[in-house]
Amino acid sequence: MLDLSGISRRFGATHALEDVSLALSEGEVLGLVGPNGAGKSTLIKIIAGADRPDAGEIRIDGSLTQFHSAHDAYAAGIRVIHQDAPLVPGFDTVENCYLGRAYPRRFGRIDRKAMRAAIAEVAADIAPELDLDLPVMFLPPAERQFVRLLRAVADKGRLLILDEPTAALPAEDAERFYDVLRRTRQRGTSIILVSHRLDEIADFCGRAVVIRDGRIVARFAEGEVKPEAMIAAMGGSASERSNRATDTSAPKIIEIDGVTAGDLTRPARLDVHAGEVIALYGLAGSGRSSLLNAIWGAIPWVGKMRLAGADYAPRSPRQAIARGVSCVPADRHRSGLFVNEDLVFNKTLPLLSGYRRLRGLPVPDVKAEEAEFVVAAERVSLSYRDPKQLARTLSGGNQQKLIFSRWANRHSKVMLLDEPTEGVDVMAKATIKDIIRAIAADGNAVLVSTSDRDEALELGDRIAVFRQGGIVKVFTRAEASAEALSAAAQSREAA
Amino acid sequence: MTRTNLNRFGTLIAFVLLCIGFSIAAPAAFASPANVFNLVQQMATLAIVATAATLVMTISEFDLSVGFSASLAAVICFVLFGQGYDVWLAVPAALLVGIIGGAANGVLVARFGIPSFVATLALGTILSGFAFGLSGGQSLFQSVPDGFKSLARGDVFGIPVLGFWIVAVLGVAAFVLTQTEFGRRLRAIGGNAQAARLAGLPIVRDVIVTFAIAGGLSALAGLLLASRLGSVQHTMGEPLLLPAYAAVFIGTTASPTGAPTVAGTLLGVAITGVMVNGMTIVGVEPFVQKIMTGVIILVAVLLRRVGRAK
Repeated sequence: MLDLSGISRRFGATHALEDVSLALSEGEVLGLVGPNGAGKSTLIKIIAGADRPDAGEIRIDGSLTQFHSAHDAYAAGIRVIHQDAPLVPGFDTVENCYLGRAYPRRFGRIDRKAMRAAIAEVAADIAPELDLDLPVMFLPPAERQFVRLLRAVADKGRLLILDEPTAALPAEDAERFYDVLRRTRQRGTSIILVSHRLDEIADFCGRAVVIRDGRIVARFAEGEVKPEAMIAAMGGSASERSNRATDTSAPKIIEIDGVTAGDLTRPARLDVHAGEVIALYGLAGSGRSSLLNAIWGAIPWVGKMRLAGADYAPRSPRQAIARGVSCVPADRHRSGLFVNEDLVFNKTLPLLSGYRRLRGLPVPDVKAEEAEFVVAAERVSLSYRDPKQLARTLSGGNQQKLIFSRWANRHSKVMLLDEPTEGVDVMAKATIKDIIRAIAADGNAVLVSTSDRDEALELGDRIAVFRQGGIVKVFTRAEASAEALSAAAQSREAA
Repeated sequence: MTRTNLNRFGTLIAFVLLCIGFSIAAPAAFASPANVFNLVQQMATLAIVATAATLVMTISEFDLSVGFSASLAAVICFVLFGQGYDVWLAVPAALLVGIIGGAANGVLVARFGIPSFVATLALGTILSGFAFGLSGGQSLFQSVPDGFKSLARGDVFGIPVLGFWIVAVLGVAAFVLTQTEFGRRLRAIGGNAQAARLAGLPIVRDVIVTFAIAGGLSALAGLLLASRLGSVQHTMGEPLLLPAYAAVFIGTTASPTGAPTVAGTLLGVAITGVMVNGMTIVGVEPFVQKIMTGVIILVAVLLRRVGRAK
């Protein structure tokens, strides 16, 4: 039903997509696989009408089509299902499925019976056990995914594009989700599945394409879709890697012994030496962020930790800071920045009592703050106009550097970095990686949590791979390779 | 004048125009020293309650119990006078009740995670019940000690005593909010509570302290009102609540990021105060005054929106 030929899209000098062609027939399932930034989301946007290609043709049922907006694509039956697409919590499944659609009416009043019957008919086919009359706030996360699917199918969806549909689901629920998806396909609905979980792609998709640097680099036909083959196809450009070996004679700065916290459900053991960068690599929810948050004292944890040889049991970030731990949290907008405050405010806040004009009097010396800000900004190569400009006026990369600058004028023993280059452009990425290496070279123990495999390889002196709530393997520099990391992070059977 | 400056000083300019307008309309009555004296006295209790609201709004919370705290403090003070207690005991006791009530609000919000709107409404209702019970539902007028009368009446060098209270309370609050570590932390909590927690700020403690200060200030406002009027009713503080927040909202239109500030709040109090006072002098009917005051709040906030959208 869908036929793309020669699709290209460029942003400035970068080719986000180059000559991409693919076809999909009724009831077929295609896996779309590729590393972050490969062009998957641009391709999805183009198919969904949210972006337009610079060249190439889109055909629906054989006839040439141009989508001028997401609305056009919707009318053609194309549905993108995001895993966190909003549902109205107090509405039941039937009402949620009718959001944004015309309600059936009877004597001028909304005909609830007809609504329910229409939804129940589809639900009986694909998710018979779903309770249609319960407000979705009472449904477990997996069932809410069924609701999103049901909404798309019930409103004449012919092609579903699913972006990481199981990322937030535990393994058993993912199985159930795929059962529902299988039944959806049997109705003749076509599906494009985007996932980092390659075994799920292999299990579920008849065909798969691997996209890298904006091009389709491999196509796998029926019977050829295997995780190993896809990993090999993705591996591609070997990035510049750290060539330092861990100096195991250096003192252990932080010792983690049997810690569980949040997503980290299996006790983790890890020692980090002075001057070492450890990359924590794994999918979202695999426990790597939870480990960082535990060390930061930001979430409750159990187990035992030692810092520089002494017991360490932080119950708040405040206590962690007092012991010489520093952190750049993930998601800077939600967890890091004060966008409506100026740069100096953002820089000095965590260590504000270090700027008192008179000892004991909690009144910061604004001049001293600004002087230190200028030094710190220089150190993280922050580009700014005025220390008094608001943080919201900086670019993403500079905002991230601003958060780094908080810790730039003190000697931290442990530096925790959660997705430090997320949403940051290529130039800033390189600077941030240099900063991270410099922090380690200062004798700090650095822990970098990342979902980007290349970044893990590039930064980590050792790489701890997380999967489903625990560390599955710690790779040394010599053992680590793209294939090995992906296999460890994604394979279903324990390593 | 640039658009940013118009945004920033527009509210102040509106206030000045308002004063000029009333001065022209009623030169003898409005601009007279006696009326200005009167105006300052009328504004003082509202200014202090609005400062309490400003502190709480700085951490992006609401305190709906401010008026109830003011009433309860005044009732407690007068009941203690009735039992023959001295000013030096009655006044601190009444203030302490306000602080404890505020701290309880803070605990409900920071420790138990109850939305402040709900927590302070519930606690305020409880406080008003105590005020009702203690006063027996009646106005209290017993003979008030002279020391208490002098809290809010009279003048020093021709300046009303309540004017000094405004300067003292708002001055300290402004200093704390803009110059101290505590004030910085409050702005951080209000700006992004999650980021503030991850930056290691003692959020629970700071929120409790903020609500406690708000409770204490409300109690102080109640006592000053009681001192000025010489009598107490158990509902006397309640009419302060809405004008206090109106003043804070008008005040936010004078700050570049829309954050509440003490100076802005003072401007808001002055605008609403001058509106009511001036319209009364000019002879505008009370119901029209109310409508006009509501319109002024909407216009201020709307102008701000339009200015910011550009």
